[in-house]
Amino acid sequence: MTDGEQLAREAGSRDPAVGLRAVRALRELADRLETLQVGNARSLGWSWQEVADALGVSRQAVHKKHRNTETSLFARFGKDT
Amino acid sequence: MFERFTKDARAVVVQAQQEARALRHDRIEAGHLLLALTAVEGGAARALDACLPGLDGLRARVRAEIDGLDPDALASIGVDLSAVRQAAESAFGEGALDRDRKEKRGHLRFTREAKKVLELSLRVALSNGHRFISDGHILLALLMLPESAPVRAMRNAGAELENVKSAALREITAEAA
Repeated sequence: MTDGEQLAREAGSRDPAVGLRAVRALRELADRLETLQVGNARSLGWSWQEVADALGVSRQAVHKKHRNTETSLFARFGKDT
Repeated sequence: MFERFTKDARAVVVQAQQEARALRHDRIEAGHLLLALTAVEGGAARALDACLPGLDGLRARVRAEIDGLDPDALASIGVDLSAVRQAAESAFGEGALDRDRKEKRGHLRFTREAKKVLELSLRVALSNGHRFISDGHILLALLMLPESAPVRAMRNAGAELENVKSAALREITAEAA
């Protein structure tokens, strides 16, 4: 059995400690990818509405969550992104 | 309170700041205190080492608890964090998946919880009739916060908290003798 198969089997783990820890880590990962992608979209000139539509949430929600990270992302990736 | 801190306890406080900096965190959390307790050779490190199969495993668990992005937890559902990281970095540059925190100069502040731990260490000393606060007292203070990230990390690393507690108590009692 490959590592991948072993891992996939554990995905059905009935141990809540394992399962819940995975959920938490996945949520954290999704959050960071979201920050990254929203920053990129905004620096490419996407409007908040376009970003919100792509994420399937309201414009208010996405703006509230990401308006503060925007400047730092611009600074981080520079003008070439 | 700090004038009661032993050399090792002071070293732990200094080391906690370095642990936070190394992770590019902008505050000193209770978890950084535990990382420091494992790094400074003293009674607390001895007590932890006696109750755990190696301190490296505990350090990894503490980092995962503080950071939230736990590679082992993701692997358990078939997500390869290093592959995701690689993809993100090839598109957006190195450190793309890191938490977006600016590196801070000067002293880092303690979180409320980390402050609480240091205050509790004084209480541990007083309740044991000790006039000094050592790294062992700090470890015992951490154990008084069972819901904190470092104590979760200890449990997840397989430590029996009662054993850690009695080992730490032995250390501080020996220091007082």
